[in-house]
Amino acid sequence: MFFKRLTLPLIIVFAIGMAGFVQYYVPHPWSDAFQEEMTTWFRVIGGFALFLGAYSLLHMHVTRIRRAAPGWGYSVFVFIGAAAMIAVGLYNDGKGPLGPDQQKDWFDWGYRWVFVPCQATIFSILAFFIASAAFRTFRARNAAAVMLLVAAIIVMFGRVPINEGVSGWLFGQDHRQVFSGAATVVNEYPNMAAKRAIILGVSLGAIAQSLRILFGIERSYLGGGD
Amino acid sequence: MSESSAASRGMTIARWVIYALVALTVVLPYFVVFPTLKYKVSPESAKLFDKVNSLKPGAHVMIAFDYDPASSAELDPMGRAILLHCFKKGLIPVVMTHWSSGLDNDRKILAETAARAQEDMKRQEPFVSGRDYVFLGFRPGYSNLVLNMGENLKGSFDKDFYGQPTAAMSALQGVSQLKDLDLVIDLAAGASVEVWIAFGSDRFHFPLGVGSVAVQAPNIYPYLQSGQVCGLLGGLRGAADYEQLVDANGAAMRSMWSQSLAHVLIIGLILFANARMLLARYRRTGKATG
Repeated sequence: MFFKRLTLPLIIVFAIGMAGFVQYYVPHPWSDAFQEEMTTWFRVIGGFALFLGAYSLLHMHVTRIRRAAPGWGYSVFVFIGAAAMIAVGLYNDGKGPLGPDQQKDWFDWGYRWVFVPCQATIFSILAFFIASAAFRTFRARNAAAVMLLVAAIIVMFGRVPINEGVSGWLFGQDHRQVFSGAATVVNEYPNMAAKRAIILGVSLGAIAQSLRILFGIERSYLGGGD
Repeated sequence: MSESSAASRGMTIARWVIYALVALTVVLPYFVVFPTLKYKVSPESAKLFDKVNSLKPGAHVMIAFDYDPASSAELDPMGRAILLHCFKKGLIPVVMTHWSSGLDNDRKILAETAARAQEDMKRQEPFVSGRDYVFLGFRPGYSNLVLNMGENLKGSFDKDFYGQPTAAMSALQGVSQLKDLDLVIDLAAGASVEVWIAFGSDRFHFPLGVGSVAVQAPNIYPYLQSGQVCGLLGGLRGAADYEQLVDANGAAMRSMWSQSLAHVLIIGLILFANARMLLARYRRTGKATG
Protein backbone atom coordinates (compact mmCIF):
# COMPACT_ATOMS: atom_id res chain seq x y z
CA MET A 1 0.00 0.00 0.00
CA PHE A 2 2.82 2.39 0.97
CA PHE A 3 4.63 1.51 -2.25
CA LYS A 4 1.56 2.24 -4.41
CA ARG A 5 0.61 5.38 -2.55
CA LEU A 6 4.01 7.02 -2.18
CA THR A 7 7.01 5.25 -3.68
CA LEU A 8 5.54 4.48 -7.11
CA PRO A 9 4.27 8.04 -7.79
CA LEU A 10 7.65 9.43 -6.71
CA ILE A 11 9.47 7.04 -9.07
CA ILE A 12 7.15 8.01 -11.95
CA VAL A 13 7.62 11.74 -11.28
CA PHE A 14 11.41 11.36 -11.04
CA ALA A 15 11.69 9.21 -14.17
CA ILE A 16 9.40 11.32 -16.38
CA GLY A 17 10.77 14.59 -15.01
CA MET A 18 14.39 13.60 -15.59
CA ALA A 19 13.54 12.25 -19.06
CA GLY A 20 11.92 15.60 -19.93
CA PHE A 21 14.91 17.47 -18.51
CA VAL A 22 17.54 15.38 -20.34
CA GLN A 23 15.52 15.39 -23.54
CA TYR A 24 15.91 19.18 -23.81
CA TYR A 25 19.68 18.82 -24.23
CA VAL A 26 19.74 15.84 -26.59
CA PRO A 27 19.36 16.81 -30.27
CA HIS A 28 18.46 13.35 -31.57
CA PRO A 29 15.36 12.19 -33.54
CA TRP A 30 14.47 9.75 -30.75
CA SER A 31 14.57 12.58 -28.27
CA ASP A 32 12.32 14.72 -30.49
CA ALA A 33 9.91 11.82 -30.99
CA PHE A 34 9.77 11.28 -27.22
CA GLN A 35 8.97 14.94 -26.66
CA GLU A 36 6.27 14.94 -29.33
CA GLU A 37 4.68 11.83 -27.85
CA MET A 38 4.78 13.22 -24.31
CA THR A 39 3.38 16.64 -25.22
CA THR A 40 0.58 14.99 -27.21
CA TRP A 41 -0.30 12.93 -24.14
CA PHE A 42 -0.19 16.03 -21.94
CA ARG A 43 -2.60 17.77 -24.31
CA VAL A 44 -4.98 14.79 -24.34
CA ILE A 45 -4.96 14.60 -20.55
CA GLY A 46 -5.32 18.39 -20.36
CA GLY A 47 -8.47 18.14 -22.49
CA PHE A 48 -10.16 16.27 -19.66
CA ALA A 49 -9.60 19.29 -17.45
CA LEU A 50 -12.34 20.99 -19.49
CA PHE A 51 -14.83 18.37 -18.29
CA LEU A 52 -13.60 18.75 -14.72
CA GLY A 53 -13.94 22.53 -14.98
CA ALA A 54 -17.46 22.29 -16.39
CA TYR A 55 -18.46 19.78 -13.70
CA SER A 56 -16.98 21.95 -10.95
CA LEU A 57 -18.76 25.08 -12.21
CA LEU A 58 -22.13 23.41 -12.60
CA HIS A 59 -21.82 21.61 -9.25
CA MET A 60 -21.11 24.91 -7.49
CA HIS A 61 -24.20 26.51 -9.02
CA VAL A 62 -26.42 23.49 -8.27
CA THR A 63 -25.38 23.84 -4.63
CA ARG A 64 -26.17 27.56 -4.65
CA ILE A 65 -29.63 26.95 -6.09
CA ARG A 66 -30.35 24.03 -3.73
CA ARG A 67 -29.39 26.08 -0.69
CA ALA A 68 -31.17 29.19 -2.03
CA ALA A 69 -27.98 31.16 -1.36
CA PRO A 70 -28.18 34.94 -1.87
CA GLY A 71 -28.18 35.63 -5.61
CA TRP A 72 -29.13 32.03 -6.50
CA GLY A 73 -31.24 33.36 -9.38
CA TYR A 74 -28.05 34.25 -11.24
CA SER A 75 -27.02 30.60 -11.00
CA VAL A 76 -30.16 29.64 -12.91
CA PHE A 77 -28.92 31.78 -15.79
CA VAL A 78 -25.68 29.77 -15.84
CA PHE A 79 -27.74 26.66 -16.66
CA ILE A 80 -29.98 28.46 -19.13
CA GLY A 81 -26.95 29.91 -20.94
CA ALA A 82 -24.98 26.66 -20.89
CA ALA A 83 -27.96 24.55 -22.00
CA ALA A 84 -28.90 26.96 -24.81
CA MET A 85 -25.36 27.17 -26.21
CA ILE A 86 -24.77 23.39 -25.95
CA ALA A 87 -28.12 22.70 -27.66
CA VAL A 88 -27.57 25.08 -30.60
CA GLY A 89 -23.94 23.94 -30.86
CA LEU A 90 -24.97 20.31 -31.17
CA TYR A 91 -27.86 21.17 -33.51
CA ASN A 92 -25.36 23.05 -35.73
CA ASP A 93 -28.05 24.47 -38.01
CA GLY A 94 -29.43 21.01 -38.72
CA LYS A 95 -26.07 19.48 -39.65
CA GLY A 96 -25.55 17.81 -36.28
CA PRO A 97 -22.50 17.82 -34.00
CA LEU A 98 -20.31 15.98 -36.51
CA GLY A 99 -21.35 18.08 -39.51
CA PRO A 100 -19.29 20.96 -40.94
CA ASP A 101 -19.24 24.14 -38.85
CA GLN A 102 -21.91 26.64 -39.95
CA GLN A 103 -20.84 30.27 -39.96
CA LYS A 104 -24.20 31.92 -39.52
CA ASP A 105 -26.00 29.60 -37.18
CA TRP A 106 -27.61 30.27 -33.79
CA PHE A 107 -24.41 29.43 -31.96
CA ASP A 108 -22.62 32.13 -33.91
CA TRP A 109 -25.46 34.56 -33.12
CA GLY A 110 -25.23 33.80 -29.40
CA TYR A 111 -21.48 34.23 -29.43
CA ARG A 112 -21.46 37.45 -31.43
CA TRP A 113 -24.43 39.25 -29.91
CA VAL A 114 -24.48 37.97 -26.32
CA PHE A 115 -21.06 36.64 -25.27
CA VAL A 116 -18.88 39.27 -26.98
CA PRO A 117 -20.85 42.34 -25.76
CA CYS A 118 -21.08 40.91 -22.21
CA GLN A 119 -17.34 40.28 -21.98
CA ALA A 120 -16.48 43.62 -23.56
CA THR A 121 -18.83 45.42 -21.16
CA ILE A 122 -17.41 43.79 -18.06
CA PHE A 123 -13.86 44.69 -19.07
CA SER A 124 -14.66 48.22 -20.22
CA ILE A 125 -16.23 49.27 -16.92
CA LEU A 126 -12.74 48.84 -15.49
CA ALA A 127 -11.95 52.32 -16.85
CA PHE A 128 -14.57 53.84 -14.53
CA PHE A 129 -13.28 51.95 -11.50
CA ILE A 130 -9.65 52.87 -12.25
CA ALA A 131 -10.51 56.57 -12.58
CA SER A 132 -12.50 56.52 -9.34
CA ALA A 133 -9.87 54.49 -7.45
CA ALA A 134 -7.05 56.76 -8.69
CA PHE A 135 -8.94 59.82 -7.46
CA ARG A 136 -9.69 58.33 -4.05
CA THR A 137 -6.45 56.51 -3.20
CA PHE A 138 -3.49 57.85 -5.22
CA ARG A 139 -2.00 60.19 -2.61
CA ALA A 140 1.55 61.54 -2.23
CA ARG A 141 1.77 60.64 1.46
CA ASN A 142 5.51 59.78 1.53
CA ALA A 143 8.61 59.81 -0.69
CA ALA A 144 7.92 56.37 -2.20
CA ALA A 145 4.33 57.35 -3.02
CA VAL A 146 5.57 60.59 -4.63
CA MET A 147 7.94 58.60 -6.87
CA LEU A 148 5.15 56.22 -7.86
CA LEU A 149 2.84 59.14 -8.55
CA VAL A 150 5.37 60.97 -10.72
CA ALA A 151 6.24 57.80 -12.66
CA ALA A 152 2.56 57.01 -13.20
CA ILE A 153 1.79 60.49 -14.49
CA ILE A 154 4.81 60.49 -16.82
CA VAL A 155 3.85 57.10 -18.30
CA MET A 156 0.13 57.87 -18.50
CA PHE A 157 0.74 61.16 -20.28
CA GLY A 158 3.73 60.00 -22.31
CA ARG A 159 1.82 57.09 -23.82
CA VAL A 160 -1.04 59.10 -25.35
CA PRO A 161 -0.57 61.07 -28.59
CA ILE A 162 -1.83 64.35 -27.15
CA ASN A 163 1.45 64.65 -25.21
CA GLU A 164 3.34 65.59 -28.36
CA GLY A 165 1.09 68.56 -29.03
CA VAL A 166 1.45 69.75 -25.43
CA SER A 167 5.21 69.18 -25.52
CA GLY A 168 5.52 71.11 -28.78
CA TRP A 169 3.46 73.95 -27.34
CA LEU A 170 5.53 74.07 -24.13
CA PHE A 171 9.04 73.42 -25.42
CA GLY A 172 8.84 74.21 -29.14
CA GLN A 173 8.07 72.08 -32.21
CA ASP A 174 11.60 70.65 -32.25
CA HIS A 175 10.98 69.11 -28.83
CA ARG A 176 7.68 67.30 -29.33
CA GLN A 177 8.98 64.05 -27.78
CA VAL A 178 9.85 65.34 -24.30
CA PHE A 179 6.99 63.53 -22.51
CA SER A 180 7.02 60.42 -24.68
CA GLY A 181 10.80 60.27 -24.26
CA ALA A 182 10.43 60.52 -20.49
CA ALA A 183 7.84 57.70 -20.57
CA THR A 184 10.25 55.58 -22.62
CA VAL A 185 13.04 56.22 -20.10
CA VAL A 186 10.76 55.14 -17.22
CA ASN A 187 9.74 52.00 -19.12
CA GLU A 188 13.21 51.06 -20.33
CA TYR A 189 15.26 51.68 -17.19
CA PRO A 190 13.58 51.59 -13.75
CA ASN A 191 10.65 49.47 -14.97
CA MET A 192 12.87 47.03 -16.83
CA ALA A 193 15.31 46.72 -13.94
CA ALA A 194 12.48 45.88 -11.55
CA LYS A 195 10.77 43.51 -14.00
CA ARG A 196 14.03 41.71 -14.74
CA ALA A 197 14.70 41.21 -11.04
CA ILE A 198 11.19 39.81 -10.58
CA ILE A 199 11.50 37.50 -13.61
CA LEU A 200 14.88 36.18 -12.41
CA GLY A 201 13.56 35.68 -8.87
CA VAL A 202 10.44 33.86 -10.04
CA SER A 203 12.48 31.70 -12.44
CA LEU A 204 14.98 30.70 -9.76
CA GLY A 205 12.06 29.89 -7.45
CA ALA A 206 10.44 27.76 -10.16
CA ILE A 207 13.72 25.86 -10.73
CA ALA A 208 14.11 25.25 -6.99
CA GLN A 209 10.52 24.07 -6.68
CA SER A 210 10.89 21.78 -9.72
CA LEU A 211 14.01 20.19 -8.22
CA ARG A 212 12.19 19.71 -4.91
CA ILE A 213 9.35 17.90 -6.74
CA LEU A 214 11.73 15.83 -8.89
CA PHE A 215 13.71 14.59 -5.89
CA GLY A 216 10.63 13.90 -3.79
CA ILE A 217 11.24 16.64 -1.21
CA GLU A 218 8.02 18.45 -2.11
CA ARG A 219 5.16 15.94 -1.91
CA SER A 220 2.07 18.06 -1.33
CA TYR A 221 0.82 17.26 -4.87
CA LEU A 222 0.30 13.68 -3.69
CA GLY A 223 -2.36 14.92 -1.27
CA GLY A 224 -2.69 14.26 2.44
CA GLY A 225 -0.04 16.77 3.55
CA ASP A 226 3.73 16.34 3.55
CA MET B 1 -25.75 64.35 9.73
CA SER B 2 -22.55 62.85 11.10
CA GLU B 3 -19.16 63.76 9.66
CA SER B 4 -18.53 60.24 8.28
CA SER B 5 -21.88 60.00 6.51
CA ALA B 6 -21.35 63.47 5.05
CA ALA B 7 -17.93 62.37 3.79
CA SER B 8 -19.45 59.18 2.42
CA ARG B 9 -22.19 61.18 0.66
CA GLY B 10 -19.56 63.51 -0.79
CA MET B 11 -17.53 60.53 -2.05
CA THR B 12 -20.64 58.99 -3.65
CA ILE B 13 -21.38 62.22 -5.47
CA ALA B 14 -17.74 62.50 -6.52
CA ARG B 15 -17.82 58.93 -7.79
CA TRP B 16 -20.84 59.61 -9.99
CA VAL B 17 -19.23 62.77 -11.27
CA ILE B 18 -16.06 60.85 -12.10
CA TYR B 19 -18.03 58.15 -13.91
CA ALA B 20 -19.88 60.80 -15.92
CA LEU B 21 -16.65 62.59 -16.82
CA VAL B 22 -14.98 59.35 -17.90
CA ALA B 23 -17.99 58.45 -20.05
CA LEU B 24 -17.98 61.92 -21.57
CA THR B 25 -14.26 61.93 -22.41
CA VAL B 26 -14.48 58.47 -23.98
CA VAL B 27 -17.67 59.04 -25.98
CA LEU B 28 -17.30 62.69 -27.02
CA PRO B 29 -14.55 62.19 -29.65
CA TYR B 30 -16.84 59.80 -31.53
CA PHE B 31 -19.48 62.52 -31.96
CA VAL B 32 -17.42 65.70 -32.17
CA VAL B 33 -14.79 66.15 -34.87
CA PHE B 34 -11.43 66.88 -33.27
CA PRO B 35 -8.32 67.90 -35.20
CA THR B 36 -6.16 64.97 -36.31
CA LEU B 37 -3.59 63.99 -33.70
CA LYS B 38 -0.06 64.04 -35.08
CA TYR B 39 2.41 61.86 -33.26
CA LYS B 40 5.56 59.89 -33.82
CA VAL B 41 5.33 56.10 -33.92
CA SER B 42 7.03 54.52 -30.90
CA PRO B 43 10.32 52.72 -31.66
CA GLU B 44 9.11 49.33 -30.41
CA SER B 45 6.08 49.47 -32.76
CA ALA B 46 8.30 50.54 -35.66
CA LYS B 47 10.55 47.53 -35.00
CA LEU B 48 7.69 45.08 -35.47
CA PHE B 49 6.49 46.88 -38.60
CA ASP B 50 10.02 46.83 -40.04
CA LYS B 51 10.31 43.12 -39.33
CA VAL B 52 7.07 42.31 -41.16
CA ASN B 53 7.96 44.72 -43.94
CA SER B 54 11.33 43.06 -44.47
CA LEU B 55 9.73 39.69 -45.33
CA LYS B 56 9.48 38.60 -48.95
CA PRO B 57 6.13 37.70 -50.59
CA GLY B 58 5.19 34.11 -49.79
CA ALA B 59 6.79 34.25 -46.34
CA HIS B 60 4.77 32.71 -43.51
CA VAL B 61 3.70 34.83 -40.55
CA MET B 62 1.96 33.01 -37.72
CA ILE B 63 -0.35 35.27 -35.70
CA ALA B 64 -1.54 33.82 -32.39
CA PHE B 65 -4.75 35.53 -31.29
CA ASP B 66 -4.27 34.65 -27.62
CA TYR B 67 -7.16 36.64 -26.16
CA ASP B 68 -10.92 36.71 -25.92
CA PRO B 69 -13.53 39.44 -26.56
CA ALA B 70 -12.74 41.16 -23.23
CA SER B 71 -9.51 42.45 -24.78
CA SER B 72 -10.93 43.02 -28.26
CA ALA B 73 -10.83 46.81 -27.98
CA GLU B 74 -7.04 46.79 -27.77
CA LEU B 75 -6.04 43.66 -29.65
CA ASP B 76 -8.56 43.45 -32.52
CA PRO B 77 -7.17 46.60 -34.20
CA MET B 78 -3.64 45.17 -33.91
CA GLY B 79 -4.75 41.89 -35.48
CA ARG B 80 -6.54 43.68 -38.30
CA ALA B 81 -3.62 46.03 -39.04
CA ILE B 82 -1.03 43.22 -39.05
CA LEU B 83 -3.23 41.00 -41.22
CA LEU B 84 -3.83 43.85 -43.64
CA HIS B 85 -0.10 44.43 -43.86
CA CYS B 86 0.47 40.71 -44.54
CA PHE B 87 -2.19 40.50 -47.25
CA LYS B 88 -0.96 43.64 -48.99
CA LYS B 89 2.65 42.42 -48.97
CA GLY B 90 1.73 38.96 -50.27
CA LEU B 91 2.73 37.23 -47.03
CA ILE B 92 0.82 34.17 -45.84
CA PRO B 93 -0.81 34.71 -42.45
CA VAL B 94 -1.23 31.54 -40.39
CA VAL B 95 -3.70 32.28 -37.61
CA MET B 96 -4.24 30.18 -34.48
CA THR B 97 -5.30 30.69 -30.88
CA HIS B 98 -4.76 29.22 -27.43
CA TRP B 99 -8.05 30.76 -26.25
CA SER B 100 -11.15 28.85 -27.36
CA SER B 101 -13.39 31.70 -26.21
CA GLY B 102 -11.91 34.02 -28.84
CA LEU B 103 -12.22 31.61 -31.74
CA ASP B 104 -15.25 33.05 -33.48
CA ASN B 105 -13.95 36.58 -33.09
CA ASP B 106 -10.67 35.56 -34.74
CA ARG B 107 -12.52 33.99 -37.66
CA LYS B 108 -14.52 37.17 -38.14
CA ILE B 109 -11.43 39.41 -38.07
CA LEU B 110 -9.60 37.21 -40.57
CA ALA B 111 -12.53 37.08 -43.00
CA GLU B 112 -13.25 40.82 -42.76
CA THR B 113 -9.60 41.82 -43.16
CA ALA B 114 -9.18 39.52 -46.17
CA ALA B 115 -12.21 41.20 -47.74
CA ARG B 116 -10.87 44.68 -46.91
CA ALA B 117 -7.43 43.88 -48.33
CA GLN B 118 -9.06 42.66 -51.53
CA GLU B 119 -11.02 45.90 -51.78
CA ASP B 120 -8.03 48.13 -50.96
CA MET B 121 -5.85 46.33 -53.49
CA LYS B 122 -8.66 46.37 -56.09
CA ARG B 123 -8.01 42.68 -56.52
CA GLN B 124 -10.48 40.70 -58.61
CA GLU B 125 -9.90 37.40 -56.90
CA PRO B 126 -10.74 36.97 -53.22
CA PHE B 127 -8.16 35.72 -50.73
CA VAL B 128 -8.77 32.01 -50.31
CA SER B 129 -8.35 29.98 -47.12
CA GLY B 130 -5.73 27.28 -47.56
CA ARG B 131 -4.06 29.09 -50.43
CA ASP B 132 -3.57 32.73 -49.39
CA TYR B 133 -4.01 32.31 -45.66
CA VAL B 134 -4.56 29.61 -43.05
CA PHE B 135 -6.90 29.61 -40.08
CA LEU B 136 -5.79 26.76 -37.85
CA GLY B 137 -8.24 27.55 -35.06
CA PHE B 138 -7.87 26.31 -31.50
CA ARG B 139 -6.19 23.32 -29.89
CA PRO B 140 -5.79 22.80 -26.13
CA GLY B 141 -2.40 22.36 -24.53
CA TYR B 142 -0.88 25.83 -24.26
CA SER B 143 2.87 25.25 -23.59
CA ASN B 144 2.56 21.63 -24.72
CA LEU B 145 0.89 22.76 -27.91
CA VAL B 146 3.79 25.15 -28.61
CA LEU B 147 6.28 22.31 -28.00
CA ASN B 148 4.18 20.07 -30.24
CA MET B 149 4.09 22.66 -33.03
CA GLY B 150 7.83 23.09 -32.65
CA GLU B 151 8.32 19.46 -33.61
CA ASN B 152 5.40 18.88 -35.93
CA LEU B 153 3.08 21.76 -36.80
CA LYS B 154 0.87 19.82 -39.18
CA GLY B 155 0.58 16.99 -36.67
CA SER B 156 -0.63 19.43 -34.02
CA PHE B 157 -3.18 20.87 -36.45
CA ASP B 158 -3.99 18.02 -38.81
CA LYS B 159 -6.98 20.02 -40.08
CA ASP B 160 -7.61 23.73 -40.20
CA PHE B 161 -10.66 25.39 -38.65
CA TYR B 162 -12.76 24.68 -41.75
CA GLY B 163 -11.85 20.99 -41.79
CA GLN B 164 -9.32 21.13 -44.65
CA PRO B 165 -6.34 18.77 -44.09
CA THR B 166 -3.18 20.79 -43.49
CA ALA B 167 -0.81 18.14 -44.89
CA ALA B 168 -1.58 18.98 -48.53
CA MET B 169 -2.42 22.66 -48.00
CA SER B 170 -0.65 24.84 -50.57
CA ALA B 171 -0.39 27.76 -48.13
CA LEU B 172 1.66 25.60 -45.77
CA GLN B 173 4.14 24.29 -48.32
CA GLY B 174 7.60 24.27 -46.82
CA VAL B 175 6.27 24.60 -43.28
CA SER B 176 6.41 21.56 -41.05
CA GLN B 177 7.75 23.02 -37.80
CA LEU B 178 7.69 26.35 -36.02
CA LYS B 179 11.24 27.12 -37.14
CA ASP B 180 10.03 27.08 -40.76
CA LEU B 181 7.89 30.15 -40.07
CA ASP B 182 9.45 33.50 -40.92
CA LEU B 183 7.84 35.29 -38.00
CA VAL B 184 5.43 34.55 -35.15
CA ILE B 185 3.41 37.36 -33.60
CA ASP B 186 1.60 36.76 -30.34
CA LEU B 187 -1.35 39.03 -29.61
CA ALA B 188 -1.60 38.45 -25.89
CA ALA B 189 -4.03 39.29 -23.13
CA GLY B 190 -2.54 36.78 -20.69
CA ALA B 191 0.73 35.03 -19.97
CA SER B 192 1.10 33.51 -23.42
CA VAL B 193 4.12 35.67 -24.33
CA GLU B 194 6.31 33.91 -21.77
CA VAL B 195 5.05 30.56 -23.09
CA TRP B 196 5.93 31.49 -26.67
CA ILE B 197 9.38 32.65 -25.56
CA ALA B 198 10.30 29.80 -23.21
CA PHE B 199 8.82 26.91 -25.19
CA GLY B 200 8.82 28.43 -28.68
CA SER B 201 11.29 31.01 -29.93
CA ASP B 202 14.13 30.26 -27.49
CA ARG B 203 13.94 26.58 -28.23
CA PHE B 204 13.06 26.38 -31.93
CA HIS B 205 14.71 29.62 -33.03
CA PHE B 206 12.22 31.79 -34.87
CA PRO B 207 11.66 35.55 -34.58
CA LEU B 208 8.86 36.51 -32.20
CA GLY B 209 6.90 39.76 -32.17
CA VAL B 210 4.37 40.72 -29.53
CA GLY B 211 1.19 42.76 -29.34
CA SER B 212 -0.12 43.00 -25.83
CA VAL B 213 -2.75 44.77 -23.77
CA ALA B 214 -1.41 47.99 -22.25
CA VAL B 215 -1.47 46.70 -18.69
CA GLN B 216 0.91 43.91 -19.61
CA ALA B 217 3.21 45.78 -22.00
CA PRO B 218 5.78 46.85 -19.35
CA ASN B 219 6.39 43.15 -18.62
CA ILE B 220 7.64 42.64 -22.18
CA TYR B 221 10.39 45.30 -22.15
CA PRO B 222 13.10 42.98 -20.71
CA TYR B 223 12.49 40.53 -23.57
CA LEU B 224 12.57 43.37 -26.09
CA GLN B 225 15.93 44.59 -24.84
CA SER B 226 17.41 41.09 -24.76
CA GLY B 227 16.34 40.52 -28.38
CA GLN B 228 14.00 37.65 -27.50
CA VAL B 229 11.16 39.78 -28.84
CA CYS B 230 11.72 41.61 -32.12
CA GLY B 231 9.01 44.25 -31.71
CA LEU B 232 6.20 45.25 -29.40
CA LEU B 233 2.80 46.83 -29.87
CA GLY B 234 1.66 48.02 -26.44
CA GLY B 235 -2.07 48.54 -25.96
CA LEU B 236 -4.30 50.71 -28.09
CA ARG B 237 -1.44 53.15 -28.75
CA GLY B 238 0.62 50.32 -30.23
CA ALA B 239 -2.32 49.34 -32.43
CA ALA B 240 -2.70 52.98 -33.56
CA ASP B 241 1.02 53.09 -34.35
CA TYR B 242 0.72 50.04 -36.59
CA GLU B 243 -2.45 51.38 -38.26
CA GLN B 244 -0.60 54.60 -38.99
CA LEU B 245 2.34 52.68 -40.46
CA VAL B 246 0.15 50.59 -42.77
CA ASP B 247 -2.13 53.54 -43.52
CA ALA B 248 -5.14 51.63 -42.24
CA ASN B 249 -7.01 54.42 -40.40
CA GLY B 250 -8.71 51.89 -38.17
CA ALA B 251 -10.45 51.76 -34.81
CA ALA B 252 -7.28 52.38 -32.79
CA MET B 253 -6.39 55.63 -34.56
CA ARG B 254 -9.98 56.80 -34.17
CA SER B 255 -9.79 56.01 -30.44
CA MET B 256 -6.66 58.07 -29.75
CA TRP B 257 -8.60 61.19 -28.79
CA SER B 258 -10.75 59.17 -26.36
CA GLN B 259 -7.69 57.61 -24.79
CA SER B 260 -5.82 60.91 -24.64
CA LEU B 261 -8.70 62.73 -22.97
CA ALA B 262 -9.34 59.85 -20.52
CA HIS B 263 -5.66 59.81 -19.48
CA VAL B 264 -5.61 63.58 -19.07
CA LEU B 265 -8.79 63.37 -16.99
CA ILE B 266 -7.33 60.71 -14.68
CA ILE B 267 -4.10 62.73 -14.28
CA GLY B 268 -6.18 65.82 -13.54
CA LEU B 269 -8.24 63.95 -10.94
CA ILE B 270 -5.10 62.62 -9.23
CA LEU B 271 -3.53 66.10 -9.13
CA PHE B 272 -6.79 67.65 -7.88
CA ALA B 273 -7.16 65.06 -5.10
CA ASN B 274 -3.54 65.58 -4.02
CA ALA B 275 -3.86 69.36 -4.09
CA ARG B 276 -6.98 69.04 -1.90
CA MET B 277 -5.10 66.76 0.51
CA LEU B 278 -2.13 69.13 0.73
CA LEU B 279 -4.43 72.11 1.25
CA ALA B 280 -6.26 70.31 4.06
CA ARG B 281 -2.93 69.37 5.64
CA TYR B 282 -1.72 72.98 5.37
CA ARG B 283 -4.91 74.25 7.00
CA ARG B 284 -4.63 71.72 9.85
CA THR B 285 -0.97 72.68 10.41
CA GLY B 286 -1.91 76.36 10.29
CA LYS B 287 -4.66 75.86 12.89
CA ALA B 288 -2.36 73.84 15.15
CA THR B 289 0.43 76.44 15.04
CA GLY B 290 -2.02 79.40 15.05
